[in-house]
Amino acid sequence: MKILRRVTLRVAVTGLGKMGLLHASILNTLSNIELTALCDKSALIRKFCKKIFNRVQVVDDVEKLSDLDLDAVYITTPILSHFLVTKTIYSKGIARNVFVEKTLASSYGEAKELFGLAKNFGGSNMVGYMKRFAATFRKAKDLLNQETLGDVISFDAYAYSSDFLGIKKISRTSASRGGVLRDLGAHVIDLALWFFGDLEVDSAKLEPLGERGSEGSAYFSVKKSDGLEGRLNISWCMKNYRMPEFGLVIRGSEGIMRVNDDKVELKLNDGKSSRWYRHDLNDNVGFLLGTPEYFREDECFIKSVLNGGDAEPSFCTASKVDYIIDQVKYRAGKNE
Amino acid sequence: MSNERKKLLLVGDNPFHGISHLSQERARVRGDAITHAEYDAELVMTSVENGADGFMFSVSETTLSILKIIREMEGIKSLRLYALVPYAYEYVRLATQVGGILGLAKKIAKQIAVSGNIRAIAMGFKGVIRTDPIALMKTYLIYEISRIKSSAGKQANLESVLLHEIITDMALALNLDWLFKSYVDFMLKLGMKPGFETRNFSHLVKKFREWNINFNKITIAAPFNKVGFQMNSSKTECERALANLPESHVIAISILAAGYLRPSEAINYIRTLSELKGVVAGVSKEHHARETFKLLEKNLA
Repeated sequence: MKILRRVTLRVAVTGLGKMGLLHASILNTLSNIELTALCDKSALIRKFCKKIFNRVQVVDDVEKLSDLDLDAVYITTPILSHFLVTKTIYSKGIARNVFVEKTLASSYGEAKELFGLAKNFGGSNMVGYMKRFAATFRKAKDLLNQETLGDVISFDAYAYSSDFLGIKKISRTSASRGGVLRDLGAHVIDLALWFFGDLEVDSAKLEPLGERGSEGSAYFSVKKSDGLEGRLNISWCMKNYRMPEFGLVIRGSEGIMRVNDDKVELKLNDGKSSRWYRHDLNDNVGFLLGTPEYFREDECFIKSVLNGGDAEPSFCTASKVDYIIDQVKYRAGKNE
Repeated sequence: MSNERKKLLLVGDNPFHGISHLSQERARVRGDAITHAEYDAELVMTSVENGADGFMFSVSETTLSILKIIREMEGIKSLRLYALVPYAYEYVRLATQVGGILGLAKKIAKQIAVSGNIRAIAMGFKGVIRTDPIALMKTYLIYEISRIKSSAGKQANLESVLLHEIITDMALALNLDWLFKSYVDFMLKLGMKPGFETRNFSHLVKKFREWNINFNKITIAAPFNKVGFQMNSSKTECERALANLPESHVIAISILAAGYLRPSEAINYIRTLSELKGVVAGVSKEHHARETFKLLEKNLA
């Protein structure tokens, strides 16, 4: 992989919803970034962006980013468009380094194709599974790597929010978010893959939300070739989850570990126990917007672009989440 | 280092919204009881009886109901009010439901139109026609202030309206100096102290100095606690920035690091920061309200 000679990277963000604005803002705080261009389909959003961002090009079509000599593009458009937008970025030679908000694509087939394209074009690629950058989940990963739990036997994972609790009818735009599996569940699926390696879906059940047919809850079990078993419960209709919450309970031959966004708790069979809150895990960042993990994620991608290394989770890694989601839908369809 | 004068003691509203930055699980366990406005109003007044001077709150249906009840209890005159706008987390959730930023903008526009606030409607209309972000910001502020006043009443002492951290920090990241300056000018014209909540205190101080924003005229709310929780970019940087702001009105939030610290530990640290003008503490039970504010009054006076 080539190391970039340029000290300041020219970066564009396409898709100016809340994630696009969040990444654009964080990128603007990094000393080696020049926020060069923004792209959005909405004329109203473009009009406001032109007033707000003085020295930034604002365009309505990804292809118009072609002549801007960009080093990297962030794709924060709705999931359904990730495939086409990413393909355009590569095929038109707009940039070699691409960051895509999760999920990489809307099917494993598309994700695989994007992974292949990225490989051909070189550069760094990354998908926005930011939970990997949360202090608590990183601590849990370290403990697993150190085999603190011994052999991992089973796990239960959840991703809950109250975003659609009691909502009968969802908007077309909300429906285009891809349902609870892609919007919320993808994070915890990625954490499970990161912690335990490749998994296969065993059985699955989906519950619909509203009349547009996207799923509101998903319950499925997974297994691994070495015998590890896991269950994942995902819902955006849970009571009292004002903020989305992700967590896992992991059982091993030497003890049990509970981890969520706030803390890690470890109870070993020998009676020893430990607990770490975010406060204990050096959670400060250069600039905090949203949660610290967004800053770490962007910093990681930019470093990999500058140094010519691989960023994780890469397109290859992230395509496995799309694989699991496809499997869940397939298994759930079979059970109906 | 001792304080020369009593620090402003404010009751925070996080527990009333079911928020715990230490643990969402803890917030859920605390349950629904605490999100009842009558109970919350009693907690605020108990805190006042034990040393609190005022209430810092995000403008939401919950806090507006609390203010209304306090007004009916005839306690509103004794409160110094510090409002945070917008109640960002509710808007983020709404954006998820209604389909992104454009859906959210339409929803807010509808709420403003239904409110019948002629000044806000006229300014908002101008803002949309001219795609003028400043006019839209003013529209929104007029709307929110009118909501507070209609709940808290004319006798309420609304000292400061602070921009929520999401807005402050995003504008800070994007170097929108013109937005900060317009906000300060507009609020001063309304006779209120403009304020900013931030989780990037040292960065904000650096930028405001560059932009010549007068620290004497504004309120800043930022985390200060013994363990450096949410003190970005670092505890040391935030302490250093505060030490160079003797004339400013900085109010410490997250002094208990979201419940991670014992009140006595938290107070011992706050006592070392003589430049702080006030602190905010959330309470979820009557005995918490009594003990916390008694302790704060005794030690920060």
